[in-house]
Amino acid sequence: MNSDPSFTSTARPESLLATALWRGMAFFLLWMLLMPSLKRGDLVVGVLASVGATWVSLRLLPPSSGCLRFGRLLALLPHFVWESVLAGVDVARRALLPGLPLRPGFVTCPLGFPPGFARNTFATITTLLPGSVAAGEVDGVMVYHCIDTSSPVVEQLWKEERLLARALVAGRHHG
Amino acid sequence: MKLFLDLWTVVAVVAGAFFFFAGTVGLLRFPDSLTRLHALSKADNLGLGLVVLGLLPQVDSVSAGLKLVGIWLLVLLSGATAAQWIARTFRQSGTDP
Repeated sequence: MNSDPSFTSTARPESLLATALWRGMAFFLLWMLLMPSLKRGDLVVGVLASVGATWVSLRLLPPSSGCLRFGRLLALLPHFVWESVLAGVDVARRALLPGLPLRPGFVTCPLGFPPGFARNTFATITTLLPGSVAAGEVDGVMVYHCIDTSSPVVEQLWKEERLLARALVAGRHHG
Repeated sequence: MKLFLDLWTVVAVVAGAFFFFAGTVGLLRFPDSLTRLHALSKADNLGLGLVVLGLLPQVDSVSAGLKLVGIWLLVLLSGATAAQWIARTFRQSGTDP
């Protein structure tokens, strides 16, 4: 996670306030979705939880760390849903076949996304795709654990990277 | 129409239960913790997605439907994040508890 605290001094205060308000409203909407109650006690807890979540999100994910283009990500949603269906079917098949066809191992996958928000989001999405679970970085290069190292995992990840580059905007580098 | 929706619910929830079953079989059969992560982060997510899709026609309001989808998305996000943390920790420690 990009937790560089220096963002607060470099980000414009009005943009920080706007981001805080947007995120706060989004968190409160999520609360109302999960706890649809208009009782005063529930609303107070909801507001407190939203304020806390906004504060944590601004600390861990400052506005300058990058952003998502939600429209473009939504356009990619069918592709990722289909890929995660394939991932579930693939794992279920390997788990149930008598021969247990596994070739587990690590592969390194150099990525164009800089460390921080863009790379973290990519790692999280690709963890849901067939055969790969992100397992941190070595010397700035992403490492993936694969269920079958004989399959072209890195080529697949690079394909996903090209797709996701449309939706993920990398943040500014801090020095 | 009601019969069709009920049928859809039965088929989707049974399919979801199958993927939970397969994920659990993977959890028991796969040889090491990192490989077991694949079973949990992929098969169970698909299972939950199918259960949610199956239950959607049975909810009595749009907000209840959105709540179900919201829960699924939160589980997807937390599952994918936790799987990465566990995988990174195993890789760095070099042990397989």
